[in-house]
Amino acid sequence: MAKEVTLDCMGEACPVPLIKTEKALEKLEKGDVLVVQIDHSCAMKNVPEWARKQGHNVEIEEVDDGEWELFIEKV
Amino acid sequence: MSAETTGITSRPSQARRKKKKKNQLPVAFALLLAVVGVAIWLTFVGDNLALFWITGIAFGIILQRSRFCFTACLRDPYLTGSTSVTKAVLIAFAVTSIGFTAIKYGFAAQGLPIPGQSYVAPISAATAIGAFMFGIGMVIAGGCASGTLMRVGEGFWMQALALFFFVVGSLLGAHNYGWWERNFIVSAPRIFLPDVFGWLGGLLCNLAIIAVVYWIAHKWGKRKTQEL
Repeated sequence: MAKEVTLDCMGEACPVPLIKTEKALEKLEKGDVLVVQIDHSCAMKNVPEWARKQGHNVEIEEVDDGEWELFIEKV
Repeated sequence: MSAETTGITSRPSQARRKKKKKNQLPVAFALLLAVVGVAIWLTFVGDNLALFWITGIAFGIILQRSRFCFTACLRDPYLTGSTSVTKAVLIAFAVTSIGFTAIKYGFAAQGLPIPGQSYVAPISAATAIGAFMFGIGMVIAGGCASGTLMRVGEGFWMQALALFFFVVGSLLGAHNYGWWERNFIVSAPRIFLPDVFGWLGGLLCNLAIIAVVYWIAHKWGKRKTQEL
């Protein structure tokens, strides 16, 4: 059963969200979804880029002005 | 595994209860009018001020929209193996080299004093040590000078702290610069490439170095992606 885990990176500057995402994904199983909450515009670029390069499925949603949620499905 | 060690919290996903975003267009329009208004006012205040105002704002917009980041260009190759920003910065350097050479050559060809020659700074160990320290600082602060300014403008308040100490450091540096210059910097050589290789040679030398670094960045990025 795939689970969904939320990772709170609000207020964290680059590269902290990326490193936290990396560590959190390691602990998840295939098919699990990690929801990363960020409000740093640069993390919006490098976290999805890194995750897509790793082959994960990534979806970005702007939930509020300057706040995003990244849905990363581990592959 | 506790939430403390994983950094994973149970903060509920916001997407489910999506709230309506405020329409920012009226603010954008008012701001645009203000920018144009100030530009018109500046043309009466002094030469070039309006030009500086517009280029400054254009620079900020490009920096923000493109996520152009000098910190990421040096950090990401280690951290993620991504060299896309590195290559973007190198292209910017190449364009800048050509532009500056053209401007400087234009003045030199007419026998006029070349502008900006005071920025041909002496190269000493101070350059390398200072650059190294700056590198550590900018990775911890999450941005270099332009990046920090841009993100504070975006409303990312944690970096206002970085901005504050950036100002403190700059003031201290400016205050003590005379001492450093007398004791460490002034004896070092000043090298202006066109003096050594000629105008075209200097430019080609610059572009060749950039091309080599670009090639290394490209290879590095490819290798790192294949490893994953």
